[in-house]
Amino acid sequence: MKLSSQMAYKSADEMMFGTAKKPVTTKRGIVLGGGHVVPEVVPHPRPGSEKTMKTLLREYERANGDALERCVIVGHPILQIENEHVFQMTHNPKWGGEIAAQTAKQMDEYLEKYGLKASYRATPADLRKPDMVNMRDSDYTREVLESFKECAKYADVVSIESMGGKEVFDHAIIRNDIAGLLFGQAVLGGRDMEWMWTQIVDICKKNNCIPGGDTNCSEANTAMFMAGGFISKDVPHTMAALSRAICVSRTLVAYECGATGPTKDCAYEDPIIKSITGVPISSEGKTSACAHSDLCGNVIAAVCDLWSNEAVEYHDMFGATTTAVFAEILGYDAAAMNAAIELGYQKEFQACLVNSDMYRGPHGFMLAPQNAWLIGKAVVDNNESLYARGKAAAVKCGELMLGDPKLKLTAFERESLQGYMKDMEKLPAKEEDFIDMCLKKYANVKGFDPAAYGL
Amino acid sequence: MKILEDFSNIFTRYDLNIEVARQEARKVSKDATLQTVADAVVVGETEECEAATKAALAAKSPMEVINDGLIPGMNEVSRLWDEGVYFLPQVILASDAMNAGIALCEEKMGKAMDKKGKVVTHTAEGDIHDIGQVIVNALLNANGFEVVNLGADVPVDKVVEACRVNNPVMVTGTALMTTTMTAFPKIAAQLKRLGLNIPFVCGGGAVSEEYVTSFELGIWGKEANQAPGMAEDALAGDNWNDMRSKWNG
Repeated sequence: MKLSSQMAYKSADEMMFGTAKKPVTTKRGIVLGGGHVVPEVVPHPRPGSEKTMKTLLREYERANGDALERCVIVGHPILQIENEHVFQMTHNPKWGGEIAAQTAKQMDEYLEKYGLKASYRATPADLRKPDMVNMRDSDYTREVLESFKECAKYADVVSIESMGGKEVFDHAIIRNDIAGLLFGQAVLGGRDMEWMWTQIVDICKKNNCIPGGDTNCSEANTAMFMAGGFISKDVPHTMAALSRAICVSRTLVAYECGATGPTKDCAYEDPIIKSITGVPISSEGKTSACAHSDLCGNVIAAVCDLWSNEAVEYHDMFGATTTAVFAEILGYDAAAMNAAIELGYQKEFQACLVNSDMYRGPHGFMLAPQNAWLIGKAVVDNNESLYARGKAAAVKCGELMLGDPKLKLTAFERESLQGYMKDMEKLPAKEEDFIDMCLKKYANVKGFDPAAYGL
Repeated sequence: MKILEDFSNIFTRYDLNIEVARQEARKVSKDATLQTVADAVVVGETEECEAATKAALAAKSPMEVINDGLIPGMNEVSRLWDEGVYFLPQVILASDAMNAGIALCEEKMGKAMDKKGKVVTHTAEGDIHDIGQVIVNALLNANGFEVVNLGADVPVDKVVEACRVNNPVMVTGTALMTTTMTAFPKIAAQLKRLGLNIPFVCGGGAVSEEYVTSFELGIWGKEANQAPGMAEDALAGDNWNDMRSKWNG
C-alpha cells in the first residue's frame, strides 16, 4: 500500500461544502460531492426489535420509510439513509442483507412514484474486539466480511467503524499516554485497516457497490466524548484533539486501499481526510445531539458533502417519528447550504459556520478548514510510515493549538499539551524502533496480540 | 476567511470560568518513608512507588505500608479529583502505582490483603464497548473493592452464575447500545428468581434512568465515578431500593 504523498487541495481556501474533487455517483443518480450537500439520516431500532429478523425488518421498514415519506412531504429532493448495524444484523449476516434489500426496494418505489432520489449506506458492525478475538481469524471476523457481501448486493455504499488497536488505545487514553495512542491508532489501527479494507474494496467491486470509508469512532471519538464539554474531568480536550490528529493516519488507509467516499459521518477527522484525498465526506455536528454532544456544532459542516445526525432511535415525537423529524431537519440544513451555493454566498456561509465554533474548543479549532488542511499537509509530508505521519499530524495539531492565542486553554489543558509535546519529542524517529519499544511497553496489555496485526 | 476578534456573543467558555486553583497534595504521614510512598501514588509513578514501597518494607510491616502510605496516598488523589484538581488519567495512574505497591506488600505477607467486598462487573452480551467498565473497575479497585471482572460481551447466564458463586455486594452492567441493554432486565429477573437481591447498577452510552428503573434491582449509574460511592452504600447494607432512592429520581 502506497501512503499518500500529496494534497488534493492546493489550499484550505479551495475547500467548500457540497463539492469534492472526486465526486461519486450512487445507483439512483445522486452525485455526492457534485455541487450540493445531501442530507444523511441514520435511524436506529428500538430495544426489543432486534429479537428476530422479522421484527427488525419491520422496524427498519417503518423507520427508513418514515424518513423517505417526510422528504416528499416537505420537498427535500435527495436523501441518503444509513443503517449502522446493531450486533444481531452482523452476527446474522442475512439479516443485514435482507434489510438492505428491503430499503433498496422502498427507495426504488419512492423514485418511481415521486422522483425522490435516495441512496442507502449499510454499515456492518465490527464485532471484533481485539482483546477477545483474533482480528484476522475468528467467527466474528468471518461474520463481518460475510455481512459486507450480503449488504453490498443491495446497498449503494458500505462502511465500517473498524476496531484495530482498540485494546492499546483503551489502556493509553486513561493513562495520559501519547505513545500508546500513536501505537494503537496509527500503527495497529492502520495495519488492521489495510487488511480489512483490501477485502471490502474487493467485495464492492464484485457487487457494483461504493466502498465508502471508515471512522475512528472506537478511539478518537471515545477520546472526544470522554473529554466531553466544559465540566468534564475525564480526559483533557487537548489530548482528544491529538488523538483525532493521529487517527488521520489510520482512517486514510481506507482510501489508500481503494475506498472512494462518501466517508463515514462520525469520522470527525474527515475535513483532514478531504484535504488529502478529495473524496466526498459525510459530517455530523449539532444535528447529532440526539446521539451525543460535541463542541463542533457548525464548524464541522464547513466542508461537508453529506450532513448527518449520527443515529437516532426510532420512536414518536410531537412532530412525527424521530426519523421523519431528523430527515426534515437535516434536509433543511442542506437546503440552506445549497441555497448559499446557488446564490454565490458559500464563502460567507462557510465563514459563519467556522466562526460559530472554531474557538469553542480544541476539536473545533483543529477541524476548521484552515487547520485541517495544515494537519493534512503534515501527514503527506511525513509519509514514511503510518507512525511517522500520525506523529507529524499530532505535532502539527499541538503546535497550532499552542500557537494561536484566540484558542483559550485552561492551565491544566495547556500544561497537559506541553507534556504530550515533550513526550513526542522523545519518541524514536523510525517506525521499526517505535514498534520495538511498544511491543515491550504494551506486552502486558490485556489481549494484545501483535500477530493479529502482522507484527 | 474573516475571523472574529471577540467571541463573547457567540459562546461562553465555562471551563475557563470554573477552573480550579492549583493545589498541592497534603501530607498524609509524619513518617518520611511512608510519605515517600504516598507521594509516589499521588504523582502516579509506578516505578517510584515500587522503589519507595521496597524501601519502606525494610523497616515497616506490609500492612503499615498499605494502611499508612499507599491507601492514604490514594485517598489524597480521590480528594484532588473530587475537588476538580485532578483528571481521570491521574487517578488511573495513581491506582496503577498503588496496586504495584500493594502487590509487593502482599508478596511479603504471603497472602492477599483483605478487600472491602466484591463487585461483579460486566459489559452486556453483544456489546464490546467496555471502556466505561474499565474505568469502573479501576475506580473500585482504587477504593479497596475486589473486582470480579467478567469483561465484555458477557452472556446473561455467566453474569448470574458469577453472582451466585461470588456473592458480591453489588453487580454492574455497562452497555453502549440500546439493543444490547435488553440483557439487563433478564439478568435482574434471574437474580430475583435465585433470591439474590443484589443491587444491579447499569449505565453507559444510551442506557437511560427510565429504562434501568423499570426493572427490580436496577439502579441507574450516570457516571463511572459514582461506582465507588454506590459500592460503599451497598457494603453498608443499603438495598437496591434504598440505593435507587438515593442515586436516581
